[in-house]
Amino acid sequence: MKSLIETDRLSKRYNGFQAVEDLSLSVNKGEIYGFIGLNGSGKTTTIRMLLGMIKPTSGTCFIYGKKVNLRNYAIWEKVGYMVETPYAYPELTVKENLHAFRRLRLISNPDVVDQVIDRLNLTPYADKKAKNLSLGNAQRLGIAKALLHKPGILILDEPVNGLDPAGIVEIREFLQELAFNEGIAIFISSHLLTEIARIATKVGIIHQGRLVQEVEAAQLHLLLNQRLVLGVREKTQALEVMASAGFVSSLNKDGFIETYDVNAIKRPDDVARFLVHQGHSPTKLAVEEEDLETYFLRLIGQKGDKLL
Amino acid sequence: MTPLLAVLQVEAMKLRKSKLLWIVLATFTIAPLMGGFFMFVLKNPELAKSTGLLGAKAQIAGEATWPAYFSMLAQIIAVGGLLVFGFVASWIFGREYTDRTIKDLLALPYHRGILVLAKFLVVFATAGLLSLYAVGFGMLIGWGISLSGWSSAVWQEGLFIIVITALLTISLSTPIAFFACWGKGYLAPLGFMILMVVFSQIIAAIGYGDYFPWSIPALYSGIAGEGYNLKASNAFTVLFTSLAGIIGTLVWWLYADQY
Repeated sequence: MKSLIETDRLSKRYNGFQAVEDLSLSVNKGEIYGFIGLNGSGKTTTIRMLLGMIKPTSGTCFIYGKKVNLRNYAIWEKVGYMVETPYAYPELTVKENLHAFRRLRLISNPDVVDQVIDRLNLTPYADKKAKNLSLGNAQRLGIAKALLHKPGILILDEPVNGLDPAGIVEIREFLQELAFNEGIAIFISSHLLTEIARIATKVGIIHQGRLVQEVEAAQLHLLLNQRLVLGVREKTQALEVMASAGFVSSLNKDGFIETYDVNAIKRPDDVARFLVHQGHSPTKLAVEEEDLETYFLRLIGQKGDKLL
Repeated sequence: MTPLLAVLQVEAMKLRKSKLLWIVLATFTIAPLMGGFFMFVLKNPELAKSTGLLGAKAQIAGEATWPAYFSMLAQIIAVGGLLVFGFVASWIFGREYTDRTIKDLLALPYHRGILVLAKFLVVFATAGLLSLYAVGFGMLIGWGISLSGWSSAVWQEGLFIIVITALLTISLSTPIAFFACWGKGYLAPLGFMILMVVFSQIIAAIGYGDYFPWSIPALYSGIAGEGYNLKASNAFTVLFTSLAGIIGTLVWWLYADQY
């Protein structure tokens, strides 16, 4: 399948700082690519290079298979984007802002503005000046501007920032509909892996400018650490019994015994039976999986391996 | 709709909805009113003193005639225009950075140069219309206070000087646009503009105004007295500065990294 968005060994260095290094990724039609990283990890710089706003130090970006450069401006006809916090002309209303962008996008049909206002539930705020919008509604206006011309590629930088929980769900469902029903390729950046994992089909994790992991979202759970947590009354003795059976285990800060032994995690019933036979009936027995944020922090080395 | 027309419409809409338009209109309303006031005082010095319009120790020299008034209007455009047109240029270009809307303009399906061109055209058109308004309003005031010395030769010469002064002054707004882009906002262009106005006064005062583009419109308008002859080299100096401003802005939009 031909990639709609592609970067090939993309690097950007400025003022002695390596913002992005050797970054290669691709997004196909109907895919949602979640681009995850901490603040300052290089997400926005990558997006700006994708949109031709920053010239890469080395490497190339391709949109619809065409190299991103000043001459290939025709590629933007079917690209919608929102970079960083959405800003609009403050003295213009939501409707006026959208009409301004309709003109800039060379769309003659004025009805597209009402359609996109309706689609993003902005109707109650249509005549409100942009400077008076809440961050959530400004975010919707930003997405509306990006969608006005019915793009085939959507590049969104932190689109759920500032949205309330209901708004996040709404935008999530909306983006899924765009990707899965309308075949739009969506590149979405965020610092929230959990949030992105819910909608993305592929996840790329960027840290200090490098793509440290790229994985199909469906495979993400296979990468998460698991552990078996045990509660017993005689902890010291139970630890010795576990060791005698070959299970490397330790006492965690909550006073529970935990083990990362693969066999123990796979067969917790056997461990329970063994402990009962040894006279240490478990008061708690649970297989726990690290959450995505913990995995993310572990991956980028922000916290220890045994964070879970 | 062609891209240029579309961008022009959007730029015009943004300007129409802004407070800037009212601020510059007010400035160019007050300036001819002040000019008219001085002419009125010159024409009726005793009345002005007796009614308290003028203090007892006031010293205002000059004559209340149409040629003097036309020269005053030209000077208003030369000096006031440097500030007002510069203000317009810094707003039209700098606001995209201050409001952080610049990024919405950088990946559109036509050449970025069209956006720069449209913005410059709006700066020129706004400055041109403001000059027209100031002169039109000024002439109404002139007729209102019944200035003497009206003749077809006088108004033709007066308007000719005003038009050339306006063109020279408008041309000098382009470097302001560059500083708005380079400085990413209003502060750098406004600072540059004030610096140029100050320099234009100092450099003209020490006799080198001929070589300093920002001094030339005011000298031509007659600020230093009658008889300034605009040479091709002076016009070229202004034109070169203007062109440098346009090219600098264009290069910035096309090649600078837009963070």
